[in-house]
Formats: sequence, structure tokens, C-alpha cells
Amino acid sequence: MALKYVEEYRDGTLARDLVKKIHSVSKKKLRLMEVCGTHTTSIFRHGIRSVLPKGITLLSGPGCPVCVTAQKDIDAFVAFARVKNVIVTTFGDLMKVPGSSSSLTKEKACGADVRIVYSVFDAVNIARENKDKEVVFCGVGFETTIPTIAAGILMGIEGKLDNFSIYSANKLTPPALAALMETDGVQIDGFILPGHVSVITGTDAYRGTFEKYDIPSVIAGFEPIDILQAILLLIQQNEAGKPALENAYPRAVSHAGNVKAKQIMNQVFEVCNASWRGIGQIPSSGMELKKEYQRFDAAIKFAMDMPDVPEPKGCACGQILMGLKTPEECVLYKKKCTPMNPVGPCMVSSEGSCAAFYRYS
Amino acid sequence: MTEEKILLDHGSGGKVSHSMFSDIILPLFENPELSKQDDGAVLDVKGTKLAFSTDSYVVDPIFFPGGNIGDLAVNGTINDISMCGANPEFISVGLILEEGLPIKDFKLILETMAAAAKKAGVKIVTGDTKVVPKGKADKIFINTSGIGVIPPNVNVSGSNAKPGDKIIISGTLADHGITVLSTREGLKFDSDIKTDSAPLNKMVQSIIQSNCDVHVLRDPTRGGLGTTLNEIASQSKVSIKIDEQSLPIRGPVQGVCELLGFDPLYIANEGKLIAFVPQKDAQKILEIIQQDEFGKDAVIIGEVIDKDPGKVFLQTNIGGLRIIDMLSGEQLPRIC
Repeated sequence: MALKYVEEYRDGTLARDLVKKIHSVSKKKLRLMEVCGTHTTSIFRHGIRSVLPKGITLLSGPGCPVCVTAQKDIDAFVAFARVKNVIVTTFGDLMKVPGSSSSLTKEKACGADVRIVYSVFDAVNIARENKDKEVVFCGVGFETTIPTIAAGILMGIEGKLDNFSIYSANKLTPPALAALMETDGVQIDGFILPGHVSVITGTDAYRGTFEKYDIPSVIAGFEPIDILQAILLLIQQNEAGKPALENAYPRAVSHAGNVKAKQIMNQVFEVCNASWRGIGQIPSSGMELKKEYQRFDAAIKFAMDMPDVPEPKGCACGQILMGLKTPEECVLYKKKCTPMNPVGPCMVSSEGSCAAFYRYS
Repeated sequence: MTEEKILLDHGSGGKVSHSMFSDIILPLFENPELSKQDDGAVLDVKGTKLAFSTDSYVVDPIFFPGGNIGDLAVNGTINDISMCGANPEFISVGLILEEGLPIKDFKLILETMAAAAKKAGVKIVTGDTKVVPKGKADKIFINTSGIGVIPPNVNVSGSNAKPGDKIIISGTLADHGITVLSTREGLKFDSDIKTDSAPLNKMVQSIIQSNCDVHVLRDPTRGGLGTTLNEIASQSKVSIKIDEQSLPIRGPVQGVCELLGFDPLYIANEGKLIAFVPQKDAQKILEIIQQDEFGKDAVIIGEVIDKDPGKVFLQTNIGGLRIIDMLSGEQLPRIC
């Protein structure tokens, strides 16, 4: 299997040329936010911060799905794991996220049937093979993941699986960007927009936010050349005083996005308000099952309505996700909160900004 | 407060495993031999230096491309003894079998073990078998222990790395871990990914007999190269810098890592060693390793530097610098 489009975008000579260009163009102090957790990881992994001019600060935004999952949703996952005869299926990153009193990892050690899956389709198969059990899928993700969960529901209908359900803590990206821009104290000079999400949504999904706030915005891929290119474009827009919405990932992202995926997503889900951990409620930023699919809603099926819980004392995840604080400015960072004993979600996920800071800097 | 329990993380080989060792195990068993924390214990028995090591194998699945739990268990202990600078001679085998294991699988595993021991020139001299009821173990678990003699002038240890040392790796990274993962998950790739499980005793003997200086030998198994380098940096109180461009990773393995979001630096190897050697001997030792059957892809990947003791740095392809930390918890369960 030759892996195309990876090595080409990690080319050292090309990268060094881009870095040179960035240094020659950069004059102003700028705060640029990478919205997506995969960008955060890639930026650290390739040492991108260490090659940028001193005046360029990169902020890690609310684009790690695990990090923004509300604590009450984690509590719900833990509660499902405690129900007799239930198999909880989840993406691996959620396993260690601490809820109010436990995590899925701890529940598994106590004997709960918690299984890591790579996609919702694995969960559907588990339901098919375990008809005497209830299979709950922890639905956590953005526009990239939601269409696949919708397809999972349709597969469940086709397979007549009445033992399969999902708990939807899914979230949408553009409303979060708007919420950020409306928050007092937030100072962002440009967005590095998420590549994977944009493959589904298309460039057009950001047009509203861009036009309202006139903020430099560039869609980027995940290799170092992609990210450096996006940073260069954002600096050029800022230096010229000409904000634009640009697509620096045209090999994967189109204006309209993946129409079929959006169609399936909108067939099964509808927009709702959603709680973002550390940030709070953002209007129209979540997706819940439409009425005709509610028999697949685990929260309804198990009458699971967890109470809101306060954030752990001292945890600055919310401010970190909005670029108001860096992980190092959190009083718990590296003291009470480490990847071995995470307090806040940003320390748990490999894509979380605190975990990335901890590992790579 | 719920009662603390053993989690899969405790078996990852990363930070959680290390804190279990230093907080629970070491204080209860403490002695100078154990405290050195090398791959095997170095024992002085009436003037003869012996290396003694043990390891248990619980890999799932038990058969995977390029090998099975049997040769993995034999090669693993051979390599642990070898990394002490010793020539492994005798091995013990403890077998825990689950009721219902097909006899044909059992025989196949034992045949592979016999072949692995023969290839490496070691004898399996003692052992034990136990059978547990179905569900109380997973098919077969194997423990192997081994001993070997360390030649008089050899002093190899994770605590011997010195500033200026060059770091050699004997071949490509992450083959074993990715093979096991893709087999277990039923991931089908149109490529030749197989375990690198191999005995490294002959390679080590060639290095030792060359009369070159060798400071550290280690096989970066569970926890991968990243974790092993951190262990050495911490044991030797030095800093390490490696160059991303020099890291040998096979294309298909890199591809699977990209697809699944794994960092090859933290994926297990079962037939690779890293050697820390003084600069003056680096080229010669590199050539010796490259001449070995299992060392054709050997390269120099970095050096020991004289700042920030305990830290490991990576010079990235794009010219950036970042830290390589020890693996925190479980990345892949039951890979060896």
C-alpha cells in the first residue's frame, strides 16, 4: 500500500521554504486559532510552533470532540455501562475521560462490557451478534462523524436491530466559531479551519460566520506543509488588512462538501442546542435524532437524564478551548492534572491541547 | 472514593507501568540487582557474571503474520538476556493453557518454540504446564525465563549512556505492534506487514566480540522506541536527540499508523535493538549490525547530548524541535 499525499506534504525542503516566507511576511503580532484537535496534534508532532516567528501565537480551539463533551454526557455513558445486559461501544479516546465519579475505563475494570470500536458500523455488528443484549453507541463527534452515525442508524433499521441505540452528544462546528467570536475577551486574528469537517460541510458552511465577523479564515489539511501554507495565508491576509475565506485544502474540500453525507445526516438528525464542556450551552450547535428515529435514542430508551454538574474546581479547560488561557496558565496543569490522572478533558484525548502540550513541549 | 484497581494501562509499558513498578513492586522487593531496572538482572555468582531475565506473553491473537506467541516468547527472552551483553544459553518455559485450546494449535506453538530455540542456539531446559477452566485465561499464556553468561570485560546497562554517544537502531520501527493490531482488528491491507520477531543474540555477540565500546543495548519492545529512549535518558541522566528524517519506517506500517492515529515511536518492536556507542566506534558497529541477518536496515538515528537530563528530543522533518515523552497509558492492548 503506497501512501500517497503524506510524504509529499512532509517534504523538509518545501517546509523550510514556507517557513522562510512566513518569517519574511510576518510583521504584526497575531493570535491564530487552529479549531481542530487533529491540527493541534499535528502542529505539536511536527514541531511547527518552534519554527514560527515569535509574534505568531497558535491557540488550540474547541475542535477536539472528546474535550467538548459535557460532563453530564460522560456521566450518562458511565451510567449505561452500569446497566445490566448493556454493551457500551465507544471510540477509544472517550475511555479515560473522567465523569463526576468514574470513567468507562474504570467501569470496564469493574466488569462492565465496554468495547472500543473504530466506527459506528462495528457497534451495529456487535448488536447483530448479541441480540440478547442492548448495544449503546456513544455518539461523540463533529460533522465528520455524524453522517456515519446516521448511516449506522439506517443500517440498524435495515437489519431490524431493536437492541441498538445511540446517545447523541454530536456537535456542529460553525455555531461554535460564532459563539467564540461573541465571547468577551476572546481575541483571535484568524482561524485555521478543520480539514476533515470541511470535507463534509464544504467551504460554504463558513461563509455566514466569515461575513458576519470579517475574520481571516483558511481551511487546512493536516500535514505540515498544509498547516504552514494556511498560516502563511492567514498572516498575508492580516498584513494586507484583507480578510478572506480561503481553501488551502482543495485536494479534499469543495465548496458544497459531501452532499450525500449531509443528506443522510439531515435525514436522521436535526439541529438542537448543545452543552459544550467548559463553554456551556451554544444555540443550534448540536444534533439530535429526528422524531421518527427516536426509538434509537439511548437517552429515551433507558430514560437516562443526567443532571448538569459543575466543572472540576480549578479546571481551565473551558478557557483553554476558547483561547483565553494556555494550558500552562491552568493551576492544575502538570500538578493535579496529567495524562495518567486527567482532571479535565483537554488532558485526556490525544487531541486535547493540554495533553499535546504535556507530551510535546 | 472507589477502590483503586489494576487497569490495562498498568500493562502498557509506559508511565503507568513504571509508576506501578516504582511505587508498589520495587519497595517490597528492593535489592541492588532489581533496582538497576535493566532488561535482565546482572548477577555475580562466584566471580561469574550471569544475566537472568523473565517475561510473560499474553498476545492476542496468538497467531499473526510472521509468527505466533511461541517464537515471540522464546525470542523475547533471548533478546532480554542479550541486551545485558550476555550470550543466552538456557531457557525455561511456563505454559498456562485454557481448557478447550485445540491440540493442533498447542503443538504448532511448541514446534515454533523449538525451532526458534534451535535457530538461536539456546536450550529449553525446564518448564511447567497448567490448565485453567475455560474463560479463566485466553487460549494460552507463556512465561519464559533465561540465563546467559556475560563476558568479563562487558559492562552494558541503560545507565551507561554518555554525552556524545551515537544511537543506532538495527532496523525498521513498529512492525510487530502494527501486525498484531491489524490482525486482531481484522484490518485487511493489501501489503506485506509482518512481525519482526527475531533472536538478536548473534548480532549482540558480534558487537561484543568486535572489542568496540558499547554503553547501552536495549530492545524497544512494549512502549516502543519513544518509551525506551526515555527510560535510558532517565537511567543515565542524559538527554537524547534523534532525527525524524533518519527513522526507518516501512511504508505500509507508516500507512496503518496514519490511518489509525498511532505514533510509530510508541509501537512495539520484537526484533530490533538500539545501541548507544561512542562516536569513534559508531561506524564500525553500524557495519557489524548491518551484516547481521536481522540488521540490514540499521541506521544511526541520533545522539546523546549534554543538556536537560532525562529529556528526549526529536528534530522534525521540517526543522522543528519537539519533546518525545514516555507513553502515558495503553496505546495497544496485549501486543506481546
